Amino acid sequence: MTGEAKLIVQGLSHHYPDEYTGESVHALDNIDLQIHENEFVAIVGPSGCGKTTFLNIIAGLLPYREGRALVDGTEIRGPGPDRGVVFQEHAILPWRTVKRNIGHGLEIRRVPKAEREKTVQEYIDLVGLSGFEDRYPHELSGGMKQRVAVARTLCADPVIMLMDEPFAAVDAQTRITLQDELNRVVMATRKTILFITHSVEEAAFLGDRCIVFSRRPGHIKTEVKIDIPREDRVWKDMVDNPKFTEARDNILRLVRSEVTNDVDS
Amino acid sequence: MSTADSATIRRKSLKKTITDSRAIQLIILLIGVVILWSLISAIIERPDRYLPSPMTTLFSSVDLLKKGVLLSFYADTLNRLVIGSVIGIALGIPFGLLLGLNRNIADMFYPLMNFFQSVSGIAIFPIIVIWFGNSNTTVMIVILYTSFFPIAFNVLSGVRSVPMRYISAARTLGASRFQIIKDVLLPGAMPSVAIGSRLSIGFAWRAVIAGEMLAGQAGLGNMIFAGQELDNTAQILLGMMLIGLTWIMLDHFLLRPLESDTIERWGLVQR
Repeated sequence: MTGEAKLIVQGLSHHYPDEYTGESVHALDNIDLQIHENEFVAIVGPSGCGKTTFLNIIAGLLPYREGRALVDGTEIRGPGPDRGVVFQEHAILPWRTVKRNIGHGLEIRRVPKAEREKTVQEYIDLVGLSGFEDRYPHELSGGMKQRVAVARTLCADPVIMLMDEPFAAVDAQTRITLQDELNRVVMATRKTILFITHSVEEAAFLGDRCIVFSRRPGHIKTEVKIDIPREDRVWKDMVDNPKFTEARDNILRLVRSEVTNDVDS
Repeated sequence: MSTADSATIRRKSLKKTITDSRAIQLIILLIGVVILWSLISAIIERPDRYLPSPMTTLFSSVDLLKKGVLLSFYADTLNRLVIGSVIGIALGIPFGLLLGLNRNIADMFYPLMNFFQSVSGIAIFPIIVIWFGNSNTTVMIVILYTSFFPIAFNVLSGVRSVPMRYISAARTLGASRFQIIKDVLLPGAMPSVAIGSRLSIGFAWRAVIAGEMLAGQAGLGNMIFAGQELDNTAQILLGMMLIGLTWIMLDHFLLRPLESDTIERWGLVQR
């Protein structure tokens, strides 16, 4: 990758006290990671490996003490609109319509209404929600809600978009559609993305690079580059793409060995 | 037209059909009650003392209207209800909000609030009478006191029950603390605000009636009380009916529309 480093993480470790026993839990261990401009990085790992903890630290929702994390050269201290987050599910506001949810970031930044509505409409069209502008979230399907969440994050124009298993809660068919659509959106917006998932297939399908996390304490076990142009990443072609199947099987082996170790210990 | 649009229209026409059939049901129910009431009144001895017929009750209202007292009683009572509960709710919402936002303040005040909540409006009545006499002020203080706690408690728990992920989402969009309160916590607490307002106004409505009776202030409550002393049972029944009907109207024209435009529209409660 040639672009400028948008996210730099150096020697990041994290400990937190267990809620019940109070014992110190070692969640993350010495993470080094750089994400460059326009890059799509997927982190995959067994559940409980600390990948969501990692995302929350980058999002600024969780304070950290050990190591460094910089976005666009600035040390992360709390959440900010430069790091937009798409949460797993149900994080769009039920009392706001589709367009008011998507424009919330601009509203917070006090962008004038006319300009805001124009930008919002662009993103509504981009994620294919035209005609649903004035609907409330409870009137939408799970897939549509996540489209709103993605559009809301993009509309605030973050330096990096953080995605925390955004498609984990939708049904398998919707997930495939959403993955295809995300690729299209990434091509259109050239966003830098950090994507967390437990699905190996999803990571291989979406990521320019896949970072495999070890089980707890999470550290980067290995990194797999997936050298497939984004315009070729369409599900109907990908299933036969040897580069994809090879990368997927490779990552699957690495993740499985982590899970098997877990069972043995 | 998309299928979603036609579904909305179907839903609306279905809603209208339901409303129509509900109205018919209500009319049948009312007729039934009036018939039953007339029958009982016709077969008992001395109905004027024990249960005057619907017609007699209606005539007593004409009588009171002629004297010009019915409307003034009614206005007095409504006035007290509105002023008392509006002030109670207006104080209760920010107080509940403050407690919901700050755990230290909440921990400090909670035992005190819990204590006073259990001491009902009627139970504080004697001491208020000692302080302020049998006056309108006494009635107003009791109404205010009664309506304050339900709303304050509900706002407190409503703010606390707003899911953390909504707050996190707003923070990652760059929202300030004030913007989080305005855009996330207040609307998120609306289901509880609705329940709290309903309870507050309901309690206030009882407090007005009881307060007027005990403090001897002109109004519907006093009218019922006087009905017993004057041996005018029709006046008692009339007062009771006005109290019940007023509540139904408050519910129908104020509380229900408020709920259907907010928490029901947002899908936060099912009806």
